[in-house]
Order: sequence, then C-alpha cells, then structure tokens
Amino acid sequence: MPSLERSQWYDLTRDMNWNFTYVDEKDVFPEEMSRSHGIAAEDWWGWDEPYKVTYTEYVHNQFGKDASVYAVNAVVGRSKIFESLDPGWKSAIIAHYGAIAVPEYTAGIGESRMGRFGRAAAWRNMALYGTLDETRHGQIQTYFPYGLLAKEPRADWAHKAFHTNEWGALAARSLFDDMFGANDAVSTAIQLTFTFETGFTNLQFLGMAADAMRVGDVDFGSLISSIQTDEARHSQQGEPTVKILIEQGHRDVAQKLVDHMFWRSWKVFALLTGLSMDYYTPLEHRAHSFKEFMTEFIVKQFLDQFRDFGLDKPWYWDEYFLPELDWLHHAYHLGVYNWRPTVWWNPDAGASPEERDWLEQKYPGWNANFGRHWDTMGENIRAGKPELTLPETLPMVCNMCHIPICTPAGYNAGKLDSPLPHVLVHEGRQYNFCSVPCKWIFEESPERFKGHTSVVDRFLGGEIQPPDLGGALAYMSLSPEECGQDATDYDWAAQAYVPGGTAAGADK
Amino acid sequence: MALFPLQGMFDGDFVLMLVPVDDQDTMTQVAEKVAHHAVGRRVAAQDRPLQVRRNSVPVPADATVTSAGFGPMDVVEVGYL
Repeated sequence: MPSLERSQWYDLTRDMNWNFTYVDEKDVFPEEMSRSHGIAAEDWWGWDEPYKVTYTEYVHNQFGKDASVYAVNAVVGRSKIFESLDPGWKSAIIAHYGAIAVPEYTAGIGESRMGRFGRAAAWRNMALYGTLDETRHGQIQTYFPYGLLAKEPRADWAHKAFHTNEWGALAARSLFDDMFGANDAVSTAIQLTFTFETGFTNLQFLGMAADAMRVGDVDFGSLISSIQTDEARHSQQGEPTVKILIEQGHRDVAQKLVDHMFWRSWKVFALLTGLSMDYYTPLEHRAHSFKEFMTEFIVKQFLDQFRDFGLDKPWYWDEYFLPELDWLHHAYHLGVYNWRPTVWWNPDAGASPEERDWLEQKYPGWNANFGRHWDTMGENIRAGKPELTLPETLPMVCNMCHIPICTPAGYNAGKLDSPLPHVLVHEGRQYNFCSVPCKWIFEESPERFKGHTSVVDRFLGGEIQPPDLGGALAYMSLSPEECGQDATDYDWAAQAYVPGGTAAGADK
Repeated sequence: MALFPLQGMFDGDFVLMLVPVDDQDTMTQVAEKVAHHAVGRRVAAQDRPLQVRRNSVPVPADATVTSAGFGPMDVVEVGYL
C-alpha cells in the first residue's frame, strides 16, 4: 500500500491530460465516438467524479464482494431454498436474469467506450472501473442461474435470451443498443449512467434486494446487493458530464438526452419491475405497490436531480408519464399473461381474490378497468377452456419500445384521449407507436431508428416461417418446453372474484 | 382474394392485434375475425350485432376491405352496436 495519503497523490496520478502535438485531437477523439459538442479539451479536464477510488482499493473491495456473494451462493446451492420459493418470485428472477445478465456484460462495451473516448482522464479512469464492474455483473448473473439449471432449466435464458429474437429480448436489445451499445461517450454518460442507472436501476436494485430477503431468497438478495454497490459508484459518471455540458451552454443537449432515455427506460422498467412488484411478488411480502415505489423513489429522485442540475422535468412528464403509472404495467401484465408462450418465464397471474382486493386498494378502479378481463379469463379456466386464455395471433408492437401497443387499455382507464396507436409514415414505411413520446424519439432521429424492424414487421416481411404462432415461437427460439406457462397452474382462478369478498376487501 | 393484414382493436379490450383478413372480406367478416381474438377471451360476449369503424366512423357491413379503401395495416375498430 502507498505510504502517502490518497488525497496527496490521487489527483496527480489520475489527471493524465495533455494537449496533442503529433496527432490531431479529432483523430484521438472522433466526434462519432466522443460527441464533444464543440467543448474545448481543457474545459473537459475539470470533470470531477463525486466518489473516488484507487485501483488498489477497487480490487480490494471487489475481491471482498465476490468472496462474500459467491460464498452465499455455494451454501444456498446445496440447500432446498430455491425449491421452496414462491412460483411467482421464481418467475421474477428468471425474467430478470434473461433480461439483464448479458446486457450487463454488454454495458461493459459502453463503459469501455467512455474509458477510451471520454474527454477527461478522470472520467476515463472511472469508466474503466465501470467496465470491470459490468464484466463482473455479466459473469455473476450468468453464473448464479447456471447453478439453478438442475432445478429450473429456463435459468438457461440468462445466457440465451439476449441472443434470440424473443420479443422481450428484442425490446431489451433495442433499448440497450440505443443506450450504450451504439452510443457515443457523452450520450452514454448521460443516458446510461445518469438516466438509467441513477434514475432507475440503482434504486430498483435496492428494492429488489430487500424484496428478495423478505421472500427468503438469500442468494438473489446478496447478488443484487453486491451489484448495487458497484452501480452506485459508476453511475456517478453522469453527474459531472451533465455539469460540464450545462456550464458550456449545452443544457438543451443534456435535457434532450435525458428526455429520450428516461422514456425508453420507463417502458422496459414497467414491463419488468411493474409485473414483478405488483403481480409476481407474493402478496404477503409486497412492501409497496409499483406505483408507490415509482412515486416515492424514482419520481421524487428524478425531480430532485432535475432541480439540482438546473434541468427541467421531461416535457411529457405530467401529460404522458405520470398517468401511465396508473395503467401501463397492468396492461403489459395482461399482454405477457395472454401471450405467455412467448416468454421464457412462467407468468404468475397474481389475480386471486386476495390479490385483486390488494390491487383495487392500491389502484382504485383496477377491477373495473382490468379485473373484468381477468373475470372472463377466470371463467374460461373454470369452464375447462384454458386455450381461450392463449393467443392465436400477434399483438401489435411499438416501433420504438418494441412492447405491445396497449393504448386501448389507457383509453379504457380514462388516461388517454384515444385508443388508437400513433402512426407515422416515413419514407414510405408505416411505423406504429404506442405513445406520443415513443413517436417523438423516432422523429428526432429517424436515421438512427428507421432501419429497425419489429417482430410484427418481420412476420409480415416473411422472415417468420411458417407464418403462424408456431413459426413465431420457433423464430423466438422457444421450444414447447421453454414456453411460459401459468406459474400456479391456474390456482388464482379457482373461485370467481366477488368484490370485497376477502378480509382485505371487506376492510376496505 | 389475397391475404390482407390489419391492426384490429375490439372495444373494451386492452391491446391492438395483428389480424389477417382477406381483401374481399365484408365488414361483417372482418368484425368476426377481430372479435375472435378478444370476445369470450378478455371481453365478455354480448348478444348484439358487431360493427366496424374506421377513425370512429362506421363502415357499412356489406363493404369489403377493398371497396372500403382500407390499406394494409390500417386500424379497424370493432365493437358491439
């Protein structure tokens, strides 16, 4: 260990910035990789990370974290803990692994791009730790489910999902390619670290770790806690980057990057976390509803951040974002459940009488807006016609977020003026969007997005053969054994729902 | 006679769906094809006739997909009268 205090040498060894004489600066930091927005080199050198760590400290810390979390995994792996977990919770973690494990690994590409093309040595230094973090997160989140394979073969999707054309994987890949896979250093700092990590995942991981411990999943809880401590550090790359952009007169650039990525992140967050919190987590272990979590942590935290940095809340905040907290993930849940063969986990309906009373309590009007669908589905189950709860066609999918277009649900809930999708014809091709902000993101950068095809576009283009649901499942790499099934074998539908028929409902 | 893809939406349902029809189908047939994916599945069946609308305007029941001027992937709204 060095004999000097860190503060006596840290800045000197970190700030390896200099002016180039043998090469052109534009060749070292090409605009398409760095996106410097015309800010002079020296003006970037004031970039200062709020949380400092040396390489020695980093390795020491990470070694300790890995030793601890792998030890828990080794012990839990020899126990019967996983077998005893609630089926809905198992669904939540299998969905999580497939959607997150490999994207974390690819986030290392975004971090390493900042580590090479970030405009300040301090930033590049921080991003290298971020690269190592994300590599670790990819490895650990494929290793843990690997240990589950004998108990749950779908744990294989932790590695497999991102390499398939399964629709959820398409949505995640499109989001993460936009956010960091195909993004420049400045935009990555603002969109991945400032918007997605600081805004969403940092807090989500805290919540998930607490939920995991409550349901008794020590393995997943320790894993997520361990990852969160890394996220909390490397997510801070966004703050100094936003600061420099604003100081140098590019507030509008920062604002637009945030507006764009907050919306895209929200859609996938609603799909994954919304379903997990309000439908998959066992009722007795739900600390709060998804809306309460969003309102207390994400919404408040973001508004505080905007104020702190002199940014405005996104332009769609009041008109489009806040109303979606009341209906979007409920519609997504209906979609995932009805199209459950197209996902790699077993969706938990979460619609038993007790759960419905809880949903009504948390989301007044839920039974009128969403419960009536579950009434009809439950009748079909009780009548011995479960096939009527399965799909015979594809849902329409948004050409930006790649999630089913559920505008009719928003309209039925009184949150949208029209049930119709938002259609745009660009260079002769029709694009369908689920929302005004999704359409706005496309219109701001049509060259970036126009070549992408949704799973429905591919179906219509003849890429999916035979052109039926079976062909679509094969295209998504879902064998019959892998297709999602009802997590509780229809326990939720055993009895018809009677409003207020449970203790919770009667209390209300 | 040719396969013709539309975006189908049934009143009261939560999602838009890809609904393949035939370009010579009448609106009565289109309504049935859209209803097939929603009614009795997520939307309770009713003993009332169905109606097709485009941009909230009813389309005559005997009009065909072609004669009504639908384009591929246009949205058809279907509901009970």
